[in-house]
Amino acid sequence: MSLLQHLCQLLNDSGFGTAIRESDYAYSIIESIHVITITLVVGTIAILDMRMLGFILRPIAITRIARAVFPLTWSGFVIMFISGFLLFWAEAAKMYVNPAFKVKIVLLALVGLNPLIFHTTVYRRAHEWETLHLPPWRARAAAIASLTLWGSIVVAGRAIAYF
Amino acid sequence: MRSYVLERQILRVFLHSWFIALGQSSLGQLMQTSKWGFALVEMAHLVALAILGGALLIVDLRLLGLVLKGESARTIGRDLSRIVIGGLIVMILTGIALLSEEAGKCYFSPAFRWKMALLASAVLFYFTLHRRALLHTDIGTPNFWSRAAAVLSLTLWLGVGVAGRAIGLI
Repeated sequence: MSLLQHLCQLLNDSGFGTAIRESDYAYSIIESIHVITITLVVGTIAILDMRMLGFILRPIAITRIARAVFPLTWSGFVIMFISGFLLFWAEAAKMYVNPAFKVKIVLLALVGLNPLIFHTTVYRRAHEWETLHLPPWRARAAAIASLTLWGSIVVAGRAIAYF
Repeated sequence: MRSYVLERQILRVFLHSWFIALGQSSLGQLMQTSKWGFALVEMAHLVALAILGGALLIVDLRLLGLVLKGESARTIGRDLSRIVIGGLIVMILTGIALLSEEAGKCYFSPAFRWKMALLASAVLFYFTLHRRALLHTDIGTPNFWSRAAAVLSLTLWLGVGVAGRAIGLI
């Protein structure tokens, strides 16, 4: 048994993990919060992505939309991470072997890489293109990557229950 | 005063027969037998939820004066309504497919009935008073009624989501 698998088993068997798993309501309530918060994370970042693709809100500067959207996306992400971790805690041993869960973790790492690249490159000179109705191709590529990755994360997340 | 007992009874039988027919349709058969059919449609339903929810949230936060102050609420409302309508169409179509999997059972589910009632209210409100609040606010600061419209809109749509989640649980 690998160290990681051992750790997952420990979490799974811990008192707290067992309590969530065996409670009548806890797991369902946490899961519902996790699902509904999708709108706050994915939905708000999708607004920015669609603006960068020139689909919507063209009269508004991209940096303005980014400033409006980021606090929402980040607060949503905090709720997502906490509720997601609690769900993982309750089912850690199963998650270790769940292919959809593994795919989701990889996709989450990739979706984190995307803004990291975007912010250190093309977004640095955003003041040059923030009011353009159609931003430069690198910004559009980042938007397409973000939409695709977030969509796939939702799909992989739902698929966890089917394995 | 007449109480329309018989009329309501007829309407109920009529509606129930529609649900049964949906369950027995080829769509229903496909959703009940295919291993991944239901899962794939459910995934599409969730992705559309994200897009729809995000657009509604931004519109209502603008109406509350919490984001994008000084930008035209009219423009934001009009632009994002394309996303809202597109999202709604996908959600309703995938929703019908999901419903067909166990339509007969859903007909009696209180969560499903709540969801439909809230959805109808939310959509009706969105295209009427909510729209007027957006036009009225435009680039100004929202008045009390506009803020109230935003809060009611958020509550109704959140209610649709919560009731929808509850269908699978109760």
